Amino acid sequence: MIKKILIVDDSPISRKMLKSCIPKDGGFEYFEAGDGLEGLETFKEVRPDVTFLDLTMPVMDGVQALDEMKKFDTNSIIIVATADVQVKSLERVMQLGAFHVLKKPPTKDGVQDILRKAADHKGQVNGPC
Amino acid sequence: MVPAEYVITDEEKEILQEIMNIAFGKAAADLAEVINIFVVLSVPYVKVIKAAELPDYIRHEIRDFSHISIVEQNFWGEFKGSALLIFPAGAGKELISLLDDDAEASVESGSIDLLEKETLMEIGNILIGACVGKLTELLGDVVTYSPPRVIVENNPREIIPANLFDRDYSAIVMKTVFRFDERDINGFLFLTTNPESIKWLKESLYGFLAQYE
Repeated sequence: MIKKILIVDDSPISRKMLKSCIPKDGGFEYFEAGDGLEGLETFKEVRPDVTFLDLTMPVMDGVQALDEMKKFDTNSIIIVATADVQVKSLERVMQLGAFHVLKKPPTKDGVQDILRKAADHKGQVNGPC
Repeated sequence: MVPAEYVITDEEKEILQEIMNIAFGKAAADLAEVINIFVVLSVPYVKVIKAAELPDYIRHEIRDFSHISIVEQNFWGEFKGSALLIFPAGAGKELISLLDDDAEASVESGSIDLLEKETLMEIGNILIGACVGKLTELLGDVVTYSPPRVIVENNPREIIPANLFDRDYSAIVMKTVFRFDERDINGFLFLTTNPESIKWLKESLYGFLAQYE
């Protein structure tokens, strides 16, 4: 079950856009961070069920943050939400263990579909309640 | 001071920055599809300045380049303005082999200047076209482009026109710094909007964001 969602993106507008695509009735608890380093610290502190992570960010970029997050928790579900849709970028983040790549701008269908998949995956990893 | 009607709010700036981010991401992917190159992107930057200050602003931004090559392309629709893709001098020569398998033979035959221009023009066409195209698509517009103009190896003082727009007007400058990873080449893309576009742009930005309310 997904309860805690972390959104890491330097753009407040981008965070708002993504959040608006997540069902309002999901009862989720949201956490936000404005760069990779802040995102990593929040990730370690709150242990989110799902993290949406941008790639092009100041201070620490999303690739480094993803690497650190996966080292901290290999089972974490990290969805890379990015405008950098170059094949090499996508291959790189999938190799680092991203759960999925969500291309910007986000759509309601795209976000909800990937959240369903994340919930299924989490159910399989944790086993039946 | 920028006249009040041309002032864009922080929220409008943030929306434009995000749209620019998406647009340049698309442009980089399009370029990577055509040539085998990885484009390292940075966070885009948006600023409103008086048109009279624009040439000095651009010269200041590219101060590390003593000589530059420029691809300039104008576009017009509801969104109207100019794109300037700026590389350090010599970048075109570095990039020739990415587009032309017979580059060495061509270089030997002495047509390097022409090849360099064509390479820059091709890269400029892809990056500017995809970036402006995606930006206007997201904002509900379609633009027409002038043919790109390429100027190679000149001093920034000589190459950047002093009268980009009427001196009394304001312009929105969108800047993206990028790096071609394998070739270690940095470049800048500046989009400057014609003042006539600002009213339309402000409305379109909120139209775009309304989908996410």
